[in-house]
Amino acid sequence: MADLPTENNLLIARLRDPQTCREAFGEVIKTYTEPLYWQIRRMVQSHDDANDVLQNTFLKAWSSIENFRGDAKLSTWLYKIAINESITFLDRERKRLSISIDDQEADLARTIEADPHFDGDELQRKLRIAIASLPEKQRLVFNMKYFDDMKYEDMSNILGTSVGALKASYHLAVKKIESFFSETD
Amino acid sequence: MKNQRDILTEINHKDGLTVPDGYFESFAAKLSEALPFREEAEMPANIIRPPHTLWTRIRPYVYLAAMFAGIWCMLKMFSLMISPSDANNVIDRNPVLAEAIKNDVFINDYIFNDLNQWDIIDEMIEDGFDSSSLEEIAVSDSDVTFIDPAALPVAE
Repeated sequence: MADLPTENNLLIARLRDPQTCREAFGEVIKTYTEPLYWQIRRMVQSHDDANDVLQNTFLKAWSSIENFRGDAKLSTWLYKIAINESITFLDRERKRLSISIDDQEADLARTIEADPHFDGDELQRKLRIAIASLPEKQRLVFNMKYFDDMKYEDMSNILGTSVGALKASYHLAVKKIESFFSETD
Repeated sequence: MKNQRDILTEINHKDGLTVPDGYFESFAAKLSEALPFREEAEMPANIIRPPHTLWTRIRPYVYLAAMFAGIWCMLKMFSLMISPSDANNVIDRNPVLAEAIKNDVFINDYIFNDLNQWDIIDEMIEDGFDSSSLEEIAVSDSDVTFIDPAALPVAE
């Protein structure tokens, strides 16, 4: 999330110039592929799904680059798109499989259990399953805070929620994860 | 049982997720090449806006005024397209005829001169005039001579 303001402005200026916008967007892709990927992957769990959602995120950003007014950070705008795309993907999957939110949590847990792109230990696997059982908003807040160590102010800009509500949400998420571990011990 | 806070500390903010080797580099390169061409963003000619001059500001109003003027001209033209001879034959629209009608001499010489009482009665009967009422008029007016309707010529 750490954008230097001047670099941000320079990049935005190049994105708005027809001669340089394609090249500048290539740099945007290089810079933000990894952080956005992890954010998406922690929501959808599967690498293949994360790859699709990440691609859609950048294509959507590219097709609506004029809508980026530049009064927010470029990273904030991209995170917003990525999160919207992730939630849209999960909703679409739920409809496609005709399953409820609870059933989708179980489905995500199965995906985690069978994930070939995972080399963590049992504790990490259990943490992923615990996170997958959280409501979407708490899952987002927990992922951003715990794994990315994102500032609450930045999270507030991305999620459009007050800092106080985000702190409460994170606290609640930690409590639920703790109780998940205590129940499964 | 471990303290749950300790578990989160032990996990140490790592989730154990991995990606295929070289995934991020190849993703960025492939997607950059596959970005669709966007005419509105990448064609300078399409995004050059005309300078904001006085003419560009008043142009919509000028066009609007011209449109109303055009409609007015069309209506005027349609009214003129009505046959001028037909229009002039109507007394109300012909000042010469209207003036002549006011003149008693003209009426006596050119209109009444051509009429006689038979013509008038013929016209009245053709218009559905009830001839029996003439009798009543004659009774009440001693100066009028009664005319037997049966003696009147039948209009053809």
